[in-house]
Formats: sequence, C-alpha cells, structure tokens
Amino acid sequence: MSSAVTRTASGPGAMALLWAVALVAVALIPWITGSTFHFHIAIMVCISAMATGGLAVTAWVGQLSLAHAAFAGIGAYTSVLLVTRLDLPVLLGLPAGALVAGGVAFVIGAPLLRLRGVYFVLITFALNELFRLIMLEIPEYSGGSSGIAGIPKLSIFGATLSSYEAVYPFALVCLALVMGLLVLIRKGQLGRRFGAVEENLALAEASGIPTARTQNLAFTIGSAIAGFAGAFLAHYVGFISPETFGFQLSVSYVIMLVTGGRLALWGPLVGALFLTPLPEFLRGAVEYQHIIYGVILIAVLRFLPQGLAGLPAQLSRKEGRA
Amino acid sequence: MSFLIAQSLINGVILGTLYLLMAIGFTLAFGVMRIVNFAHGEFYMIGAFCALIGVTWLGLPYPVTLALTIVFAILMGAVVERLVFRPFRNDELSGMIASLGLAMILQHGALILFGPDPQAFPAMVTGVFKWGALIVPKSRALALGIGIVILLIFYLFLMHTRHGRALRALVQDQEVAAVFGVRLEIMYPLGLGLGIALAAVAGGLMAPLFGVSPFIGATPLLKAFIVVILGGLGSIPGAALAAILLGLIESFTSSFISASAADIVTFALVIGVLLVRPAGLLGRAEA
Repeated sequence: MSSAVTRTASGPGAMALLWAVALVAVALIPWITGSTFHFHIAIMVCISAMATGGLAVTAWVGQLSLAHAAFAGIGAYTSVLLVTRLDLPVLLGLPAGALVAGGVAFVIGAPLLRLRGVYFVLITFALNELFRLIMLEIPEYSGGSSGIAGIPKLSIFGATLSSYEAVYPFALVCLALVMGLLVLIRKGQLGRRFGAVEENLALAEASGIPTARTQNLAFTIGSAIAGFAGAFLAHYVGFISPETFGFQLSVSYVIMLVTGGRLALWGPLVGALFLTPLPEFLRGAVEYQHIIYGVILIAVLRFLPQGLAGLPAQLSRKEGRA
Repeated sequence: MSFLIAQSLINGVILGTLYLLMAIGFTLAFGVMRIVNFAHGEFYMIGAFCALIGVTWLGLPYPVTLALTIVFAILMGAVVERLVFRPFRNDELSGMIASLGLAMILQHGALILFGPDPQAFPAMVTGVFKWGALIVPKSRALALGIGIVILLIFYLFLMHTRHGRALRALVQDQEVAAVFGVRLEIMYPLGLGLGIALAAVAGGLMAPLFGVSPFIGATPLLKAFIVVILGGLGSIPGAALAAILLGLIESFTSSFISASAADIVTFALVIGVLLVRPAGLLGRAEA
C-alpha cells in the first residue's frame, strides 16, 4: 500500500514538477480572483489540511484517532488563554498550543495505544466526549456553552493580520511548515519505522523497533499539529466553545483523511483541498451537503481505498494491465 | 433518604432497560459482522419517526405501529448491509468509517424530509403509579413493559430457534460456523437487521417520552457505546450487565450529585475499563 504511494510521490521528476505547478496554481487562485470569499475558503483549506496532516501522522502507525478535535481544542484554549490572560503574543500562543496538545497526547498516549484497531477508535471517541464535558464544567476557563468570543486576531511581531488577504500568506507558510515536517518524517528513518509498525506490528517488534514508543511518538507529533491548527483556527475565527471541538469536527477530519488517502503523504492536503471548498460548489443544494459527504466517504472507501491521492497510481496500474 | 434510594433504583432500572435495547443491537452487529456501527443511533431516530408517522399520520394503533417499525427496520438493515457494509466484511476499520458516512446520510436525509424542529408525540397513556412516596409515570412504565417483552422475545429467539443458534455460532467463531452450514448470505443481513430493529423499536418506545427530531440519535448511540464497551464488544450478557449498571450509576449520581457529574463519572469509568480490561467486563479477549 505505502510502496504505491511513495512511487507516485518520488516517481518521475516530470510528474512531481507537474503536481508542484498545479499546487502553486491552486494556491494562487484567491489572488487571481481577488475575492475575499475565496481568501476565506483558501485559509480554511490550509487550517483543515494542517489538522488532517496531524491525523495522518497517527494513521501512519496504524491508529485512527477520533479525539483529534479535542487536541485541536486543547491547542486552541491554551493559546487563547495565554494570549488573553497573560498577554502573550499570538505568535508564541500557536506553538504553545502545539506543545500542550502534544504533551497531553504524550502522557495519555502510553496507556491508550495499548488498544488497537476499533478499540483505539472507541476510546478516543470517549476521550473527545470527556474533553467536551470537562470543558463545559469549567466555564471560568472555557467560557462554558456560550464559549469565548472576541479572541485577538493573528499577529506577527505586533502587526495584526486584520484582513483575509493578510492572513492567507501566513496560513500558507504555516501549512508549508507542517507539510515540510510531514515530508521530513515520511522520507526519513522515522517514516520507515512508522511504516513498519503500520504494516506488521509483531514483525516490527521482532526486528527491534520499539513499537510502543514509536506509536506514542507519532500520536504526540500528530496531536501537537492538531493543537497548532486548533490555535490557528481560534485566532482566525475569533470564537471558540467546547462544542466547536466536538465529535463532528473529529469526524470531518477523518473524512478528509480517508478521502485524501489514509496512508498517502499528500492525502491530507488533497482531502482538505477537495472537501473544504465542496460546499461552495453545492450552493444550490446546501441541505444535501452532508449527504454528499457521506456518499463520497463510502464511495472512496469502496472504490479508492488509497484515497484520491492514490488515484493516479491506481489508474496507471490499470492502464499497465490493459 | 431511603425513599430517594428506592426512587433512584427504579429510575435506574428503567434507564438500564432502554439502554439495553440500544446496546444489544449494537453488540449483535459487532459480534456477528465485526461492525462498529456509528449509524446505530440514526436507526433509533428512524424508529421514532416511523412511530410518529404510524400513530399521527396514519392513525394506526401504537402496538401495530411498533410491529410495522420492526419489520421496516429489519428490511432496512438488509438493504444497508448489502449497499454499505458488505464490501468491508474483513476490514473492521473501513466498515466503521463507512458507518460514519451512513450516519451522516441518514441524519441529514431525515433533516430534509422532516425539518429540524422537534415534533411532539401524542401521549399513549397518562397518569402515574404511586406506592407511598414512590412515583412512576405510566408512560415510563409502558415503555419499560413493552421493552422487557421485546427483550424476552428476542432472548427466546436467540436461544431456542435455528436462526438464533446460527447467530450465536457466528459470534463465537465465523469460520467454524460457516463450516457447519451457517449461511452467511442470510445471517449477516438478518443479524444487522435485527440489531437495527431493536434500535428502531427503542426509538418508537421513547418517542412518546422525549419527542422526535432528526438529532435524537446521538445520545442513545453514546449510551450504547458506553454499555457495549463496559460489557465487552460482541458480548450480549456483558451488555445486559453493563446496561443495568449504567442505568443505576446515572440515576444515583444524578440524584445525589448532578446530571453532568453522571456523564463525567460514566466516561471516566469507560476509559478506566478500556485500559484495564479492553475486552470489557464479560467480553472475550481478542484472538
């Protein structure tokens, strides 16, 4: 499975160049049209892609987390509380959010990751609910069910990014950093270790890979990325509540990941790029949006088990056979 | 104080029976087909709407409506098995993700058909039973009574019929069951259909108490999850024990502490059980 994916990613240089050009072209769309609405959509794509990228890191060691929204929430609340209560700059709040989310994941990861497959999904599902309930119980920090509004906007070295046009380049840089981190992990020794653990846990263990520590590392990195994306989302949207980071958000990250490609390096980006703007194309049929998401999810699972990112490889293999 | 304890006990048993209706179907689908069905709560919702349509639109008697709901749900289970779950028979994780998609489709389908507003359900019975200081509303007693009858019928079916034995054999060991002539092509849709029917009938029973809307499936799904995790995925006796336990815990914590504390206590319990005994209180360890 993963070998097919690496083949596309690192395959013929011309192909990689083509993809890079296409990606840059897509990233330029808001500047070409100049529409603030397109800027907003593009920023949301960046945030979703970052969060889904975090989910992908955990998926690379064979675990699917339904608590991803909770980690985004931990990052968001950490950053918002640091910025509003301690007057820290937002630029420090974002990594602090990542740090705390990653720290929590590291601590609870060791016992959690003893569970595998559907059991891990179930416990992370329960954790996400527990996070929401606990946050609702401490309204002096979380704002309770009415949430926290008027969160300070993103700012860099004192310069507030007040317009969509100003936020977008920053979002692109953050996304590039996250994707860069993903590439580094995937192409490095750690990526091979992740792959070995995902493909055959017992064999990896027997070959001397510390599987428990490897899985925990992936979970920690993935959740830290979620924390970063959550903090970004909080400062961009300006409002958070415990309900923001509920089950639905976790599910939407899972949908993006699966649609993009569960094990593909570029899967999270492809999934976010495809699904985030989709509702806008369905303007005339807003009420069908979630039904279409559901159908896409089931259809991708059924016919494109490697996701949209695996589509070129799947097509070329079919051609090769014919 | 002793009155409060007795009242909590009664409320706990009522809650527990309803959770059991939800949880048995859920655990059956997992035991038979290895599917963790995130759409289970949506079938509760569909059952409630079936009951609403039967009683208020078609003017059918309540028991007839419930019977029709069960038939409809079994058929729906067979269709869903064929269209959504069949390709993922040997892939638990993909099957589960597919059920997330199914849940979205069903919930938003209901939203389009019926709108977001909660709809009132006519009361089937009114008044209360009183024993001294203890009070049980008749509407709850009715739901409890029918629920117990349905659970008994289901128990007899499972223990004393050919298909029931086949289902239990599948839960124990798929391959051996298949070798002994259990026909998967019939038993998979039947297992899922029966599980869904139990959820739907729970929806039909609860509709007069809690009203009907497209969003009512979330809470019962959560309860079924909790019960099934506590009892062990796929274990029916485990589900029975855990359902009553959960009902009692909820009723006692909310009487003596608070309702939100009840939720946190149960979730902490779930996480604790999963960590100490991942297979649940009465579940078998994974092979």
